[in-house]
Amino acid sequence: MDLAKYAALFISESREHLQSCNQLLLAWERDPEATAPVDGLFRAVHSLKGMAATMGFTPLAELAHRAENLLDAIRGGKLAVKPEHFELLFRSVDELEDGVARATTGKGLRPEAASLVKALDAAVKAGEKPTEPVKTGRAGKAGKASESGPKAEKTEKAEKVEMPAAKDERPSLDVKITVRSDALLRGARALLALRKAEALGVVSRVTPQASELEREDFDGRLAFRVKTAAAPSEVDAVIRSAGDIAGVAIDLASDEQAVDATALRQIRIDLARLDALMKLAGELVVARNRLVELARESSDPELGQVGERISRLVGAVQSEVLEARLTPVREVFDRFPRVVRDLARDLGRQVRLEVEGGDIELDRAVLDEVADPLVHLVRNAIDHGIEPPRDRVKAGKPAEGRLRLSASRERNSVAIRVADDGRGIDRAKILAKAKADGLVDAGAESLADDQLLRILSRSGFSTAAVISGVSGRGVGVDVVMTRIRQLGGAVELVSEAGQGTAFVLRVPLTLAIVRSLLVQVGMERYVVPLNYVSETIEFSATPVTALGDREALVIREQPVPTVHLHRLLGIDGAATTGRRPVLVVQVGERRSALVVDALLGQQEIVVEPFDAPRGMPGWFSGATILADGTPALILDAAALV
Amino acid sequence: MGHTVLVCDDAIFMRTMIADILAAAGYEVIGEAETGAQAVQKYRELKPDLVTMDIVMPDMGGIDAVREICKDDPDAKVLMCSAMGQQALVVEAIQAGAKDFVVKPFQPSRVLEAVQRVLG
Repeated sequence: MDLAKYAALFISESREHLQSCNQLLLAWERDPEATAPVDGLFRAVHSLKGMAATMGFTPLAELAHRAENLLDAIRGGKLAVKPEHFELLFRSVDELEDGVARATTGKGLRPEAASLVKALDAAVKAGEKPTEPVKTGRAGKAGKASESGPKAEKTEKAEKVEMPAAKDERPSLDVKITVRSDALLRGARALLALRKAEALGVVSRVTPQASELEREDFDGRLAFRVKTAAAPSEVDAVIRSAGDIAGVAIDLASDEQAVDATALRQIRIDLARLDALMKLAGELVVARNRLVELARESSDPELGQVGERISRLVGAVQSEVLEARLTPVREVFDRFPRVVRDLARDLGRQVRLEVEGGDIELDRAVLDEVADPLVHLVRNAIDHGIEPPRDRVKAGKPAEGRLRLSASRERNSVAIRVADDGRGIDRAKILAKAKADGLVDAGAESLADDQLLRILSRSGFSTAAVISGVSGRGVGVDVVMTRIRQLGGAVELVSEAGQGTAFVLRVPLTLAIVRSLLVQVGMERYVVPLNYVSETIEFSATPVTALGDREALVIREQPVPTVHLHRLLGIDGAATTGRRPVLVVQVGERRSALVVDALLGQQEIVVEPFDAPRGMPGWFSGATILADGTPALILDAAALV
Repeated sequence: MGHTVLVCDDAIFMRTMIADILAAAGYEVIGEAETGAQAVQKYRELKPDLVTMDIVMPDMGGIDAVREICKDDPDAKVLMCSAMGQQALVVEAIQAGAKDFVVKPFQPSRVLEAVQRVLG
């Protein structure tokens, strides 16, 4: 049997098991009396052992076997669980993760693994000594109390993280609803019904996906599963209270076999395949744009029809591929309970992590790019934001700091927020340092949030020494900023002394294809992503005023600073008088009015990787090939507001 | 005493019409707002039982206003007033915390049904 072709599957499945091990360990550590996490852990490690042995990765299987022994001893009541067992098991999971990656490249475990194996064996042996008191897994608390040292105390507090319950015993109901055919905005009505159901319990398997509900041709049928303690009659009544519901059908979810049957209809696809498909779809879009343009120029009606049909089909292909690439942000969020636990422990902080919006979906590629910046921000929040417990209590706050990680969908983008309730960024110190570096006017007396962000995100701005003496690392806001802007996203910062700091990362739903507005300035053409354009108006028709020392347009009684693109970009031959179109771009709360020569229309563009030449001003986030085959630069909305 | 309502719409015509429909059914309109920012501010001041919210308004649209209001008060009862063809916006509003919606042109009976559903 050729095992190589199973390697990819082995890796992905092992990682899933190990990810769940981390979660189960965290849940177990929080409640050492619980038995469900131990059982789950045992199963996961056992499966991993079996897979590793089948693949011929003997050292890996051996390590899994030793960890399984320890779990079995605790599970069977031979051993009372102790804090050091959790440490051993966390280390085992780390070593197994590492081992999975190494095994597939033909390497064994790291040398350090040997001492871990010994420690695991020793821990199991300790349970076999007749002198050791025999306790059951359930009696874990007694074991814990017997060593009520300060360490045990600290462990318990430092690692309180929000975790889903290990097992949910509530029954599952399969619900199908139909919205009345004469109802208006049936998709929105269906969403209301879904919202009502969410108030009753945990909702899953929603079909069609939420994004389908936004379509005008939604057929009014929605199905989902809800895990709830409520009786079916109650569920029925609650759903009908959404209004305009024609019918509700509720069935007790069929058993696990049914679950397997649906699982069979899914296949795993190598991410590289999806990437290739996406790239092809992107090229198809460019070719389609060109075809449509040629068809318009020619007077052949048949060519026009074919063009239109191909156009629709390409659109459908594109949205199918996008759909297939959508991944819930939970995949990244799930790492954080462990990261937060480890960091809180290392730094002597008490942190409660709250996670929200894990179901929000993003293009896999975007999600992958966001993961690192998020780790940076979470680290910063714990290292520099959340104070040590004693300082917090002194400041009148609860000893346990709060770290909130949330995702929410905005029109064509997703906002991911990392917020702590820590000390906030020390503006006075940053201001002093920025003055010393000549980054702000020597007379400046305060820094607004966006100024603060701009200063922090200058690469090389030595913040570590300024914000806290704790860390030798830079804060890395510049890294975060660069990565998010490369995605065509934007970063926002809100920080209040003593209250905390929040970073918001706004990223597009998908990377590859962006609906954009094509504008002309002089002889040049530029592209502005539509999700940042809030409206277009006319320059001469709008009163001009001043905002500080900048020119501004009054748009619905609000002054919006203007940016004359020909001036900014140094373009000759642009119109400088008369009626000119204005694009109002908005990123978060900030707006600016871009004055251009002409609006050339909307186009779907494929963002090409872009290496800005050194010294080029940072007004551009990428480049693209237009429908007529010529290249154009993409304006970075976030840099212009 | 009927429930109290805050009516938010940038058109006086629409505000008057909604206020009339509600008043005739015994609700008490205690405030009006013509921008999203005003809506948020008046919600904080007046603490109405119900808010009717237009989607497209100057100076903070209705969706952002719902988001702000629900940030302060997750139980806020906001009824969106939408035009045909704004399904995506209504979906966004519901995700932001709106509890129900009605579609223009308004039929008084539809508006009152929705109000009753929201006030439960």
